[in-house]
Amino acid sequence: MSAYAFYLATIIIYAAVDAMACLALNVEFGFAGLSNFGFIIFQSAGAYAAAILSMPRAATSNGGFQQYVLGWSLPWPLPWIGAAIIGGLLALPFVFLVGKRLRGDFAAVGLLVSAVLLNVLAKDYVPFLNGAAGISIVPAPFQSIWDPQGLAYQFAYGGVAVVLTILVYFLLRRVTESPYGRSLRAMRDNDIVADSLGKNLRLNRTSMLVLGGALAGLSGAILVGFISLWAPGAWGYAETIVFFAAIIVGGAGNHKGAILGAILVPVGFEEATRYIPPLANPSLVPSLQWVAIGLLIVLFLWFRPDGILPERRRILSGAPIPPPPPSKSSEDIDAEVMVKIGKVDELNFRHLLRLEDVANDHRVILSTQGLTKSFNDVTVVSDVSIEIRQGRVTGLIGPNGAGKSTTLAMLAGTLPSSGGKIFYEGEDITSLPSYKRAQRGLVRTFQLASEFKKLTVLENLVSAIPNQSGDSFWGSLRGRRRWGAEDKANIERAEEILEGFGLSQYADAYAGGLSGGQRRLVEIMRALLAEPKVLLLDEPMAGVHPNLAHKIGDQLTRMAKDGMTILMVEHELALMDAFCDPVIVLAEGRVLAEGTMAELRKNSEVVEAYLVG
Amino acid sequence: MSSFGFGLITAAVLAIATVGFTMQFAVTNVLNLAYGSIMINSAFVAYYANVHGVTAWASLPFGVVTGAVASWALNRFVFTPFQRRNLAPITVVIVALGVDLIGTFGLQAIVGGSYVSYRQNTGHEYHILGMFLSGLQLIILAICAVVLVTIHWLLRYTRLGKAMRATSANPNLARNSGVKTQFIISTTWLISGALCGLAGVVFAMNNGVFEATSAQLYIVLLLAAMFLGGPGEPYGAMFGAMVIGLSTEVSAAYVNPQYKEVIAFVALLGMLTFRPYGIFGSEKTL
Repeated sequence: MSAYAFYLATIIIYAAVDAMACLALNVEFGFAGLSNFGFIIFQSAGAYAAAILSMPRAATSNGGFQQYVLGWSLPWPLPWIGAAIIGGLLALPFVFLVGKRLRGDFAAVGLLVSAVLLNVLAKDYVPFLNGAAGISIVPAPFQSIWDPQGLAYQFAYGGVAVVLTILVYFLLRRVTESPYGRSLRAMRDNDIVADSLGKNLRLNRTSMLVLGGALAGLSGAILVGFISLWAPGAWGYAETIVFFAAIIVGGAGNHKGAILGAILVPVGFEEATRYIPPLANPSLVPSLQWVAIGLLIVLFLWFRPDGILPERRRILSGAPIPPPPPSKSSEDIDAEVMVKIGKVDELNFRHLLRLEDVANDHRVILSTQGLTKSFNDVTVVSDVSIEIRQGRVTGLIGPNGAGKSTTLAMLAGTLPSSGGKIFYEGEDITSLPSYKRAQRGLVRTFQLASEFKKLTVLENLVSAIPNQSGDSFWGSLRGRRRWGAEDKANIERAEEILEGFGLSQYADAYAGGLSGGQRRLVEIMRALLAEPKVLLLDEPMAGVHPNLAHKIGDQLTRMAKDGMTILMVEHELALMDAFCDPVIVLAEGRVLAEGTMAELRKNSEVVEAYLVG
Repeated sequence: MSSFGFGLITAAVLAIATVGFTMQFAVTNVLNLAYGSIMINSAFVAYYANVHGVTAWASLPFGVVTGAVASWALNRFVFTPFQRRNLAPITVVIVALGVDLIGTFGLQAIVGGSYVSYRQNTGHEYHILGMFLSGLQLIILAICAVVLVTIHWLLRYTRLGKAMRATSANPNLARNSGVKTQFIISTTWLISGALCGLAGVVFAMNNGVFEATSAQLYIVLLLAAMFLGGPGEPYGAMFGAMVIGLSTEVSAAYVNPQYKEVIAFVALLGMLTFRPYGIFGSEKTL
């Protein structure tokens, strides 16, 4: 009987530790989109830290048979706190891997290789953490006054572990169910677009790596306090894959899914197979366990990629009924939207977009001097000097490959320029990162679909609103009382503009499920809610019904009258005729001409470039 | 100087492996983290041919064919279907990690955990330019040199090679220009898989003894060599492999040999941080 009780206590402790680790990895991977293939080193760092902080000095302990640093004999809970701090600090060296420039999978293998190498080093370098033998006889908390081998102690230990895991769950929920969490998921779905809307990718990712690392460290501390032993053999890089398997099975982006995955995979599955007697050869069962982990990952990603408990859809609008999936053809839907979009005329953009106190004086707000972009030896944009005047809708046209989109990307900072300068509001912003340009009101849209797929339409819009007090790590921790009212107002503002564009019924639908034209509209609305002073539009009307395009064009003209500056790349010359003045013509990476469309039509060079190009 | 000889062998084997790895990345944009498991499986198929009476060198083709078929099948039946699903790109890399576990530990479940070695003798020891190289090592070097030259000829002077480079640079444009990209991708996986199998067998021969998980950490060297030369660049891979292979072995002579991989690690993180497109690679390849 009592043997079962001990076993139960052990299982409870393992479950709590694994659940905490999975919650931590899930906030990195499932929410922030950070594939931390080196996750195990954070748990391990915590375990080592807790061990050496709670143990006596190496020379005096156990006749000095093991070597390690520190040895401060700290009382509980200091070693656990230290473990969390070390786990968090360990994230900082990786800040270089999580910026905008590096692809997610490259960063992931960087972390993977770090895990492999740190394991090799820990094995081979004995003085630091006793090498391959690892650190043993780690004292259990309070062991001088309470026997750690007793059943009551073990259940109490399990109780503390469970309570801490529950606290972690609520802490993480607070972070993820906030405007900040929305930004994290936006970044996960499309990092370049989130960056262009003013989200600081490096800061957000580093924050999550630190948070996840600290919690992983704590989970390691709880584990080592119980098993009193920690050695490199226990934290091979492949252990990280077990946690990934757990999250994939349970459901990435869902805290409850992470807990369920922890209970099913590392606890349930590995425990269930632990007692199979060795059959043909002693390594058969452990090898088959690994095979099964691999199969779980591949099969789940194929048959149920969202896991057992998929990410929950966040319903923000007042109407709680989820909309029916758009099954009609996209033309039908666009036509429907067009009927409703009459209301777009009633929108008060001046108020909605906070344009009230913008002086409309047609000064030069954005300009370039000799802007150049080359990829290797190919020059795509060459010596482009243009001036964009405030309160105007400037068009940018040119044949395919003229460098229009590249120019726009350099203005927004999505692409670094190879030469020349960019000035914005009188200031040289050539080396300013794109998210900072967006925060200062220089906002772009993209030529290709760029919605945040697994955010609802409304979430897509609200995520773009700048200066949200809940849109930072610390802001999110301060809870709904801090940002709730403000968020409600933001949602209402987004709903108003959504209604104006005739898409209210899709407020709570995933943006990834909309038609091409609708997604275009979502992107335009989202860019507007970012409160741009200068809006850079890359073929905003592509795939939008022509009548609708004209209505939007009218609105853009009105916004310009209200003080917004717009630069628009567009293929459709009719739209340029109607809305843009002046129009700049690019050809083969150079400025060919500038003027009204009427003037340009008379320019033989321009006509020729279009016909020939 | 003897460490230089070791380095040369390590570099030659690594060059073959990295060229295969980087070619797979070039045409399918996947970091095939299951590469090491296919290497070691190929080594074991060759080993069983060897055990059943085929001489070690004659068993080499068994390993090459295993690598080619397994890699082709992995791309055709696992990676391609996942890529068609339009999931986040990292999904395929996670799948590759899962496949690596299945490949490595599936093999371990079959062959057990003990070390084996080919039935061959390492031959007469030669003393060349201050380096001591065994006959076995000289043959390995010769094979690697022939293979690398063949790859160079294939990429530079054949239609197939041209089509491969076009597919790698821009698959859509290549398809629209009349390149049968599906066929090219399949062929690339067959060729790169053959390199993977070959690398697996000569890696195992050079090691002397090996077991199912022997190639598990090889991915560190592969990644370091690939990123040094630029991902997707076969010539960069050869260069990267030379640098990593030589520097790890030569450094082992001066510092504790157990830390020799640290150079690869530092090189990889340095490249990822400062020049993720490689020393020669272009920004656009990303």
